[in-house]
Amino acid sequence: MSTPNDAPTWQAEIDALQAELAAAIAAADDAATLRQLEVDALGKKGSVTALMKRVGTLPPEERRAYGAVAGAARGAVQQALTARAEALATARLQAELDDRSFDETLLGQPDRRGAVHPIALVQRDIEDVFASMGFQVLDYPEVDSEFSNFEALNIPGWHPARDMQDTFWLHGGHLLRTHTSAGQVRTMHKLGGEPFRAIFPGRVFRYESTDASHEHTFHQVEGLMIDRAPAAGGPGVSVGHLLDAMRTLLSAIFGEAVKVRLRPGYFPFVEPGFELDIGCRNCGGSGCSVCKQSGWLELLPCGLVHPNVLRMGGLDPAQWQGWAFGLGLSRLVMMRYGIGDIRLMLSGDARFCEPFAAGS
Amino acid sequence: MFVSWRWISEMVDTTGVDPVAFSDRFVLAVAEIEGIVQIGPGLEGVRVGEVVGVAPHPNADKLRLADVDLGAHGRVRVVCGAPDLRVGMRVPFVPPGCKLPSGIEVRDGDVRGERSPGMLASEADLGLSEDHDGLLELHGCDAANGTELLDALPIRDTLYEIDNKSLTHRPDLWGHIGIAREIAALLDRPLCTPSAEVAWTTAPPLAAGVTIAADAAEVCPRYLAARFSGVRVGPSPVATRLRLRALGVRPISNVVDATNLVMLETGNPLHAFDARFVRGETITVRLATPGETIRTLDDVVRTLEPTDLVIADGAGPVALAGIMGGGDSEIREETESVVLEAANFDGARIRKTSARLGLRSESSARFEKSLDPDLPAFAAARFARVLAELSPGAVPASALLDVGSHPAAPAPLPVITTSRGYLRQRLGLSAELLPDAALDRTLQRLGFTVDAQGDVLVVTVPRFRAGRDVGIADDLVEELGRHYGYDRIPSATVLAEAKPAPLPADKQLERRLREICALGAGLTEVQLYSFEHEPTRERLGLQSHDAAGRELPRLRLRNTLSSEHVALRRGLAEGLLGAIERNLGHGTAAAPPQKGLRVGLFELGRGYLPEQQPAEGADYGLPAVLLGDAGDDARDGYLARLGPALAADAEAAVQGRKPLPHEPRRLAIAIGERTGGAADGGVAEALPAELTASLWQEATAALAAICDGLGLPAPLLRRADRDAVLLATAEAGPGLPDAAPGWLHPGRHAWIVLPAGAHGPARRLGLCSMLHPRARAAMEVPAEVVLVEIDRDALLAASEGIVRRAGRPPRLPATSFDLSIPVRADVGADVLRGRVHSALAGAATLGAMLEDVAVVTTFRADQGAHPYTVTLRVRLRSEERTVRDVEAQQARAAIAHALVDWQDGCEPAPVTPALAERLGLGASA
Repeated sequence: MSTPNDAPTWQAEIDALQAELAAAIAAADDAATLRQLEVDALGKKGSVTALMKRVGTLPPEERRAYGAVAGAARGAVQQALTARAEALATARLQAELDDRSFDETLLGQPDRRGAVHPIALVQRDIEDVFASMGFQVLDYPEVDSEFSNFEALNIPGWHPARDMQDTFWLHGGHLLRTHTSAGQVRTMHKLGGEPFRAIFPGRVFRYESTDASHEHTFHQVEGLMIDRAPAAGGPGVSVGHLLDAMRTLLSAIFGEAVKVRLRPGYFPFVEPGFELDIGCRNCGGSGCSVCKQSGWLELLPCGLVHPNVLRMGGLDPAQWQGWAFGLGLSRLVMMRYGIGDIRLMLSGDARFCEPFAAGS
Repeated sequence: MFVSWRWISEMVDTTGVDPVAFSDRFVLAVAEIEGIVQIGPGLEGVRVGEVVGVAPHPNADKLRLADVDLGAHGRVRVVCGAPDLRVGMRVPFVPPGCKLPSGIEVRDGDVRGERSPGMLASEADLGLSEDHDGLLELHGCDAANGTELLDALPIRDTLYEIDNKSLTHRPDLWGHIGIAREIAALLDRPLCTPSAEVAWTTAPPLAAGVTIAADAAEVCPRYLAARFSGVRVGPSPVATRLRLRALGVRPISNVVDATNLVMLETGNPLHAFDARFVRGETITVRLATPGETIRTLDDVVRTLEPTDLVIADGAGPVALAGIMGGGDSEIREETESVVLEAANFDGARIRKTSARLGLRSESSARFEKSLDPDLPAFAAARFARVLAELSPGAVPASALLDVGSHPAAPAPLPVITTSRGYLRQRLGLSAELLPDAALDRTLQRLGFTVDAQGDVLVVTVPRFRAGRDVGIADDLVEELGRHYGYDRIPSATVLAEAKPAPLPADKQLERRLREICALGAGLTEVQLYSFEHEPTRERLGLQSHDAAGRELPRLRLRNTLSSEHVALRRGLAEGLLGAIERNLGHGTAAAPPQKGLRVGLFELGRGYLPEQQPAEGADYGLPAVLLGDAGDDARDGYLARLGPALAADAEAAVQGRKPLPHEPRRLAIAIGERTGGAADGGVAEALPAELTASLWQEATAALAAICDGLGLPAPLLRRADRDAVLLATAEAGPGLPDAAPGWLHPGRHAWIVLPAGAHGPARRLGLCSMLHPRARAAMEVPAEVVLVEIDRDALLAASEGIVRRAGRPPRLPATSFDLSIPVRADVGADVLRGRVHSALAGAATLGAMLEDVAVVTTFRADQGAHPYTVTLRVRLRSEERTVRDVEAQQARAAIAHALVDWQDGCEPAPVTPALAERLGLGASA
């Protein structure tokens, strides 16, 4: 029992607790400690909360005074906590702003980079160029008949041209196509009857030993354009048309104006047949070691479609004319990416493709 | 083939034409030049010297001292090492200061203590040939001692080295006359061919005559023979020998050199027999009898077949026709009488024998091009003239006997009827650019006879272009074009009006797959051979088998380059596995070949399946119209247009038709990780389960990314023993990989199945498997590998027509709960997930709210009836309101109900009612 004259004993108690808490708050130097102090003081079972609960045990006349003092103490503690929390946050921010230990020079390493094969990259570009000019992109079997690969192309059995393309023969009579030209007559039967233009890229095979510039398996793109002859009311297809088409298409593929020239070249399925040279892109035509001082690089065979091939394709040469070319895709890939050994292309060596991670 | 500009200039006036500058025009109009050789530069200062004294070298046994007379230029003594040095011989003397074409620099210095101001030279020293055998003896050179060699001998020349391949179709260009004709036409100057006037006698060359056997008549349309007497065999004059050398032919003796010179001049190979060894005074051209043998000039005994053509005398074969003479009748030193053969043979037959025997010669290279049958008579006459020069006193001792079908009844010359309009149209030239007169004249200069009737031209092809070279108007287009100059033809626009063509769906799909695999999944694309690598296949046991355990067939090569590549691949994964092994062996650019190195590869390519021949719509590699698919009328019309020769070829192709093998398009993925380093000898450590799981996770994540990237639902991974019903009902296309390839791990693999959905029915896409442990053990690098092979066309079929839409962010939050369900050891977590999903999806309200069921974690205990615990997360959401707790409870009950009732055909209940109770899934109904 206390009397009204007694100095309130709780006053000192409250003061002591408040001082103790103030010291502890001031000493707290991280958010977790501060949070713990808050719980210990103001939580359900906290020391300050306990003070507040004591008000009910006091005589009624003291309750008001007690309430005011305890409330003030709680407010002070609350305020100290908030102030300290803000101070700590400010310090933390400043510390981070002042920190110079971060090493920005360390470059991140991807887990593992993927890559697209360079043949696929160049093939994609070529398909896009031709498609944009109205060429359909077609695909044909790699195992084909002797007919598709030879007879249909005006290369009968006795023909010396069969020497030029040593062939992998399969048991059972078929062969591995030696050129994408094997698709020419297929395409005429598929699209003939209307003017058309098409390319057919793909793998071809030659029965020949390999070295840095020869592979038994490589890639070509065949191009074929057929239109009505003047006799059938069409524009016809001339050497002049072929020249223009090749110049336009090759300029698009190389991304710059390309000079082209035609030399006589013999391929039984075209007449006249040509070797097409492009101006050497290394020296600009003035002559260098790449072009053997000639200023020209042999790029592809082409020509006007031979009437016998049109006939094999079910087209009447009096009504239809055309041109065709066979582009060495592998060779173009080697030119574009500076590949010195064709055998790397199908080696399956991941190190060869890795530089193509980001695409072309 | 080499062409001598000096020789050409003997037939065409080339005054004022620089052969090097002219070569550009030649390349554009005639044939490809691979190189130009100049003979003369570097030989200035070299003089004719005569050896007038020979003395021993005091300090060296193998060296001697030669006194050389240089006429007005005095006399010098030089050191000489040539064993054939002798007094009286005339040889080239090279004074000090000369730098020869061979690279030799001659100085005035001491050779073993004796001064030697200059040297005596061999052919090789002068860069005239590779011949180091002794000094170049100047036989038949009349120039005075001291004369400059270049003045004394006609050797200054420019040689074009022509690419033989660019002459394949031009038999007329295999001799200098043919080349001279082209050059004369280009220069518009006359061509003067050498004289072929010969005084033949009337005697028969062989008493018993020359016969072409009936069965050889087609193979030998013409055979000429003549006899020459008074022959004295010896070396040809030095100028002749050097000309042969320059053109790449080895000088042998004047008689043989004469045959070779005429071949180089006319293009027609000749053969000379020693008349003494033509037994029975007769020659028969016939097919070989089976097993017949001949010893050819290269001293090899060759066994012949009945398709080979031989030249036989009364006792047997003396030459392999058109390819090589026989050793027994060759010209010898004492030969006095020579029988000359000048013939024409069928090109294809010569090529066949030459290829079969692997025996190629200057002769076969020419005959196989199908030479002009008029040529041998001219060549025989030229031989008579050349022989008289090289062997003075040699004279014809017979008539020029000429037998065969060609001299009896020459085939008419081809006549081409066309129009100037057509010829110009094909070139893209107007009448202004190529006027009538110029057009006609160009053809005439090349030997064509032109008969103009208005615009129509009737062009007769000369014999030397008539073979298989020029026969149709388009061939004349080429003649005109190349002589007009292709570089002068104006270009004409054709592509301007083009409408872009859409890229086909399979190309678009492949591009998408590349992006996903390379850029998304971090895999490196490779493109590998279509041939399997036999040693790897054997070592790793990669053969595919059918259900009965029989090995599946592969397409085998009839001719192989090596024993490593003998058959085409059925699938792609085998090759990828080999590539993984190699890459793990040598490491990548970023990482050395150590334990922990991981390599991921993919390939888009095709397999080759010999056994798959679709019943209908089979591709025979022949036009459908030819097979009669469009009816007999269409077929007959097609054949009629082909003409008899092509139609015969086409019909033969139909007779022998066979369907082409199926070429399934595939995507394969392989990811491998090294489990041991090089340092530990590559010994594999125990394979951690985490590694297998992590590889499986990576490979199947790529699969998930592929399906997701194509707008398809996530694929299901199912082994046959786990979900037979799904596998039995899912569509399987013809492009699926083999069901039992050698790499398949029986317990660690799955079929990849696309569940049914908006894209269509459930579909098998392919296989995913860890590497079979036997193959793993046989790898040259310790590694664990996961392999995937997918039927690209199944992906194509499923993804066609898929329309992708942007996501709609939901308005309200989802409610989700996790369930940890212990199941039997052999239950698949995703099968359980599927079961839970369908249990909820089937319920009315819940089904509408079901958003997702996912596998969160799995845990496998060592023992117990249900050692495998799968934690699933079920997510419910409604667009209208928040999902209520009671609805989540209902969902749990529905799941419990479904699991306890799980009695699918192949799956006994994995969860018992008691277990469901214990899990608090609610009571089963």
